[in-house]
Amino acid sequence: MNPVPDTTAAGDGGNFDARQAAALLDQTTQRARRSLQPAQPWLLVIRGVLVLAVLGAVWLNVRGQHPYQHPTAALIPVCIAFGVLNFIATVTVARRATAGVRGRSRLRPAEIAILTAAWVGAFAAMAAMASVGVSDRVVYGIYPIAVPLLAAGVSWAGVTAARREWREFGTGACVAITGAAALAAGPAGSWLVAGIGLCVTLLGTAAVIVWQQRRSVVRP
Amino acid sequence: MTTDELDPLIHVPTRLKIVATLATLREGDTLSFTRLQDMIGLTPGNLIIHLRKLEEADYISSKKSSNGSVSITQVALTDHGRAALDAYTRALRDLLGGL
Repeated sequence: MNPVPDTTAAGDGGNFDARQAAALLDQTTQRARRSLQPAQPWLLVIRGVLVLAVLGAVWLNVRGQHPYQHPTAALIPVCIAFGVLNFIATVTVARRATAGVRGRSRLRPAEIAILTAAWVGAFAAMAAMASVGVSDRVVYGIYPIAVPLLAAGVSWAGVTAARREWREFGTGACVAITGAAALAAGPAGSWLVAGIGLCVTLLGTAAVIVWQQRRSVVRP
Repeated sequence: MTTDELDPLIHVPTRLKIVATLATLREGDTLSFTRLQDMIGLTPGNLIIHLRKLEEADYISSKKSSNGSVSITQVALTDHGRAALDAYTRALRDLLGGL
C-alpha cells in the first residue's frame, strides 16, 4: 500500500494522488467499520465454539436417559454462568463499539421491551408448565432450549425486519429455525440440534461481518 | 481525467478520513466529536478546522447538546455530503481504471 500523506491544519491535498486516495478511503472505511461494529466477529466465533461445547455437554449428559428426566444439577450452573457471561461480554463489547454513536441504530425502548418480553415470557411459561405438572420430557427437555430460541429468534427477526437491517434479520431467522428444528428433535436431541444450529449461525454471522468489513469501497 | 477533477473539498487526506468515517454510520446516526477525534487521531483544533470547512459546504451537520456541565457535539454526514462522497468515489474509480 502506498504511504499516505497527511495534512496539518486545513491544508490542501499536496501530492495526494488517486491511488493514495483510493488506499486511504478503503483503509479508513474498513477501520471505521471494524471499530463501530457492535457484534465483533472474534466474539461471535468464541460464542459459537462455547455454545457448541456447553450444549454438546448437556446432550452427552442426557442422551442415555430412558425415560428422559433432565440434565444433572452440576450442568445447570454451567449453562447459567455461560448465559450470564455471554450477555455481559456482548453488552460490554457493543457499548464500547457504539460509544459516541446516537440515532436510529440504537434500539428504542419499545423494541427492547419486545425482545425482553419474548425472552422472559418463554421462561415464565416454562415455570407455569412445571407448576401444573407437565412432563419432564417437555419442561426440562424440549422446551428450555427450543422455545426460548424460537421466541428470541422470531422477535429479533421481527424487530430487525422493521428496521430493514437484513443481516441481523438473517441471524434472527436462523436462530428461530434452530429453535424450530430443536423442537422437532426430541428432548435429548434438542440440545445437540440447538448447539449445532447456534454455532453455525454465529460462525456464519461472523463470516458475513468480516466480508462486509473488508469489502472495498473503490474496487467493485 | 486528472485528480484536478476530484472534489477538492474531499480530496485532502484528513477530510477524506472524516467523510469516509462518517459515511460508515447508519442513516440517521450521528457520531460524537470526541469519538470521531479518537478514530481519526487528530487534535481537537485541527479537527474543528476541517469540520468547519465541511460544514460550510453542507457536507456535514453538527449539533451541540448539553448534558449538565458537559457540552457534547454530534456530527453526521448530510445527504449532500454522502452524494459528494459517492461522486468522489466514482471519479476515483474512473481515474484508477484509466491508469
